[in-house]
Amino acid sequence: MASPDRPLIVFVGQPNSGKSTLFNAISGYRAQTANFPGTTVTHTHSEVYVGGQIIRIVDLPGTYSLNPADPAEKAALAHLFQEPPDLIINVIDASLLGRSLELTLELLEMEQPLVVALNMIDLAEKKGIKINREKLENLLGIPVIATVANRGWGIKELISCSLDCLKKRDCRPKAPSWTGDVEKHIQSLAESIPEDFHCVHNRRFTAIKLIEAGETFCHEILKEIRPELMQRVEVVRNQLELLRHLPAFEILAAERHHLALKLFESVAKVERGKRIGLEEKIDSILMHPVLGYPGLILIFSLFFFLIFLIGNPLEGILLRPWSWLTAWIQQQSWPSFFLAFMDGLIQGIGGGLAIVLPYFLPLLFLMSFLEDLGYLSRAAFLLDALMHRIGLHGKSVPSFILGFGCNVPAIMSTRILESPRDRFLTSLLIPFIPCSARTAIILAIIAFFLGPWWAMGFYFFQLIIVALVGNLLSLFLKEPSPGLILEIPSLKIPSLKTVFSKVIWQLRSFVQFAWPIIIAGSIGLSFLQLARADIWINWALSPLIKGVLGLPINLGITLIFGFLRKELSLLMMLQALGIEYHSLPEVLTRSQLVVFTAFVSLFIPCLSTFVIIWREISRRAALLSILLNISVATFVAFLLRLII
Amino acid sequence: MAGQLIRLIEAPQGRPLRIVNIIGGHGIRRRLRALGFHPGDLIERNSDALFGGPILVKNLSTEVSVAVGRGIAQKIMVEVVDGQS
Repeated sequence: MASPDRPLIVFVGQPNSGKSTLFNAISGYRAQTANFPGTTVTHTHSEVYVGGQIIRIVDLPGTYSLNPADPAEKAALAHLFQEPPDLIINVIDASLLGRSLELTLELLEMEQPLVVALNMIDLAEKKGIKINREKLENLLGIPVIATVANRGWGIKELISCSLDCLKKRDCRPKAPSWTGDVEKHIQSLAESIPEDFHCVHNRRFTAIKLIEAGETFCHEILKEIRPELMQRVEVVRNQLELLRHLPAFEILAAERHHLALKLFESVAKVERGKRIGLEEKIDSILMHPVLGYPGLILIFSLFFFLIFLIGNPLEGILLRPWSWLTAWIQQQSWPSFFLAFMDGLIQGIGGGLAIVLPYFLPLLFLMSFLEDLGYLSRAAFLLDALMHRIGLHGKSVPSFILGFGCNVPAIMSTRILESPRDRFLTSLLIPFIPCSARTAIILAIIAFFLGPWWAMGFYFFQLIIVALVGNLLSLFLKEPSPGLILEIPSLKIPSLKTVFSKVIWQLRSFVQFAWPIIIAGSIGLSFLQLARADIWINWALSPLIKGVLGLPINLGITLIFGFLRKELSLLMMLQALGIEYHSLPEVLTRSQLVVFTAFVSLFIPCLSTFVIIWREISRRAALLSILLNISVATFVAFLLRLII
Repeated sequence: MAGQLIRLIEAPQGRPLRIVNIIGGHGIRRRLRALGFHPGDLIERNSDALFGGPILVKNLSTEVSVAVGRGIAQKIMVEVVDGQS
């Protein structure tokens, strides 16, 4: 339960309403944002100190309605049922007022204190929609604040209004009533629901959800302790369906739809026929049935070339002082223990800074840009047919593209997929997508030594592997997936501020979590080498490393560490071979470089990915993922060894 | 052609269409409703992805665009609306 000294505010809104951007503007950038449905697939908590008190704020997954259709929406509803908040902030995309009001009406039914943030009001005006805010406020009976989250407009007003609602102002709405017979039936059901029951904080709302929402949090419990109530629900549902000759859930949805339409017509004026904006022009090319495809290829080629063009010279510059420092340390006559420690430390810090970051940073930037632009759902539209070949559909595409950044959020984002089978298959395929860590390896080895075209080819090759593995897996998972229904949000030129904040947020998490592991790994390897323990590990792995892959035995140990962080394999490769980065091609042949890179990037999902598959999907999926990756990596790397 | 009941997949591009009925299961009807596509709404078929890919449909009153697979488009019954309405 919400405690009075730390009130709970929950953000609820439809996907792409700018909910997370607004949440971030208040909490200081902790939630992921993107311009496609379902970025916030799990809720983000934060605590903020405003107006002399600590307030807990929660950003729930975007949900079109309170009738959950996918795991992300279920999470949103369950949270509202389990812990009734002190205040709900309903974020609305003002340019989609009519549709968004349907969710607002559902929230009114909860009769919890509610504030509406009428977001993206600038976009609405651009589209020719004029909204009478005061009138909307009067009709809904709750405060309505106009905001433009990505520019920070209206945030102050929203905060001070929320504080008012928590302290003195009465922001508790009255549920709207419906047309005669429907209202009567709902009322009679509501009266037979026990009032003191803990998951029921409003009997009418619970009655509505029992009729229309299928399996909800409360449903399960009520079914167990009050089986006779569930019979009553069936009776009422049948009566409603007889009345209107429609499924019960559609009757209620239609009631809301009409109310929302009426509201919309009385508060909004629409002037159509506005000039076509830049966004629409770009969009008509991006979504063009023919031009869209070269566009897609161009965008992704540009994506990787830009990362390389920025990363490559940056790496060259940053490497110099580090190789100088390493050389200096090795000349010192320090005790061997200290020397090993310092060597590992410098390799770890320098590797993270000079080899990983130059590629990681531009990738983060471009990824954030594509996400906020809304390109991911457009790629989903274009690639849907292709995805059918591997037994999935376009809705998995945004998850795959996110995988190029990091596999972990990519696997979380599969929550927007309705079918468990699609989630399972997509999550098994995501670890084959080269994430930023692997991109760093590919660019630092393949592109740096063999040239950017080799790297492009390598990337393409990895995508073919994803397709082949998907094809293979879908042979075993035959069940047809449900058809595609995916909203294509309007194209938005991203605000630099949001993109910057996002990059900084992700960079911070790299410095906090990934870099320490890289440094600890480097030091660990130094000590293992000092104790000569690496020889045994390398010896045990030699049948694979030397026998199958034809690589120097010394590289065995780098694979063990690659499970922790993929970049470690690259940095340790230098350490294990005892060479400097620039002299890599003198020790390894071109074929060996390619084989090593292919094996490292495919052989196993990294530890975080493994954990997230275990948690999100199942233990079986996580173990299967390891098995699958090892077999595919061995097979592919062996083939490459024969070809190149 | 006006007034005749056809499947969305057979409907012409770029002309206003009225959704008459959605003949799919509960899941599809729920989803489409939630995205703002109701029987009675005016929509427009905007673009078809190549290789049997999805169809882009725009709701003319809310301007929401949704990509629907061809299987779903089989189940959306529409009629062509003539002239300006």
